[in-house]
Amino acid sequence: MRPRLLIVWLLLSLGVAHAEWTPERSNRLVNDYSGVLTSEQVAALEQRLVAFDDSTSNQVLVVITPTLYDDEVQATAQRIGERWGVGREQFNNGVVILVKSKTPEENWGEVAIATGYGVEGALPDIFCRHIIDDEMVGPMGEGDYYRGLARALDVICPVLAGEYSYAQYRADNRREGMITLLVLALVVGAILAYIVYYAKKHPDQFNNDRHWGGGGVYFGGTPGGFWSSEGGGFSSGGFGGFGGFGGGHFGGGGASGRF
Amino acid sequence: MKKSSIIVIILAIAAVLLLWGVSVNNSLVNEEENVQKAWSQVENVYKRRMDLIPQLVNTVQGAANYEKSVLTEVTNARANANKVTVDPSNLSEENIAAFQKAQDQLSKALANTITVTVERYPELTATAGFRDLQTQLEGTENRITVERGKYNEAVQSFNSKLRRFPNNIVGSICGFSKKGYFSAPAEAEEPVQVQFDF
Repeated sequence: MRPRLLIVWLLLSLGVAHAEWTPERSNRLVNDYSGVLTSEQVAALEQRLVAFDDSTSNQVLVVITPTLYDDEVQATAQRIGERWGVGREQFNNGVVILVKSKTPEENWGEVAIATGYGVEGALPDIFCRHIIDDEMVGPMGEGDYYRGLARALDVICPVLAGEYSYAQYRADNRREGMITLLVLALVVGAILAYIVYYAKKHPDQFNNDRHWGGGGVYFGGTPGGFWSSEGGGFSSGGFGGFGGFGGGHFGGGGASGRF
Repeated sequence: MKKSSIIVIILAIAAVLLLWGVSVNNSLVNEEENVQKAWSQVENVYKRRMDLIPQLVNTVQGAANYEKSVLTEVTNARANANKVTVDPSNLSEENIAAFQKAQDQLSKALANTITVTVERYPELTATAGFRDLQTQLEGTENRITVERGKYNEAVQSFNSKLRRFPNNIVGSICGFSKKGYFSAPAEAEEPVQVQFDF
């Protein structure tokens, strides 16, 4: 069975045209277009993957589709990774798990793990195939898609967390944090210095209620801008929700299997 | 109009033209670098396949009833493909076509070898070692497809920029030339006879 599959692959690589379907980019890490997971299962996987993204910067995308429009599962997974930009651009640390579920019309299942350039070392193709064969094909063949995915993630996440650029990512984040702090400190310092300077130059205004009101308008203006800019920083960081795909690239690494 | 002001106007136009020419040249240089980067990835993945073939040869040689003839086609094709290299600074259509021809012959030889191996040595193809090797070969073929696609995209972007008027004037002055694409070979367009048994 496997050798035949390889021959098909080799001949396909000679350049038979592919239909180039990819689902539209969503802003979630778990996308069940087949409806084979319950909403609790989707939420549990999503929460797990968002937390994993937040803590390690590795993005694992799960897509379940009822059809591949006659294309290869591995090529489709690679295209989704590349077009959606799964993983951080500087690390290419994305993984796409694509499942084609069994349907009455297409009564077979397929699954592919596509690895970004940056995680090909942590997850070599052979490893991906073993994860598919040993963890996913069994439960998914029985229709338990959630268990197949959860067991695959039990292997993939620790492996990714062990190798990649976690330390690098943290260092970069710290540096960015330092720069933000420095800028904030300078802005606050400049405002305070100006207030002190203004107060020294016009001491009468600080003893006079009428003038103090005028100063208040100025006072309210600048810190207002300061707060709103900090609010922007918080929302882009995101509390709990998925922060978006990072522009990672995929070079065709990974493996696929059938169930 | 004074003679001197005409000279100033001519000089100003010349300066603007020069600046424009330089900026077109620079953007072509950038695009060309993208093409060369994509090409080096293409070479990498083909090299990876080259490196895997000796492993395949060794594995098949380990079969109990091994015959030498099974491997002659693939070893010859590999030797031929090894001879055809492309200078990254000259990715002309002829060079790419020659490279592709040699590599596609190797693809076919590889497919034939695996077909024959599967037919003659079923006990060998059932081993874990052979399955791992196949996974690596599959992965390599996937990468070749991907990198060829990315290379073609980079070439398309470069060529269309180069051929557009008036960039083509700057391009020909500065010595840029069209890059070659990978194409689907004629044989591959015929329906391929493969037995599916899954």
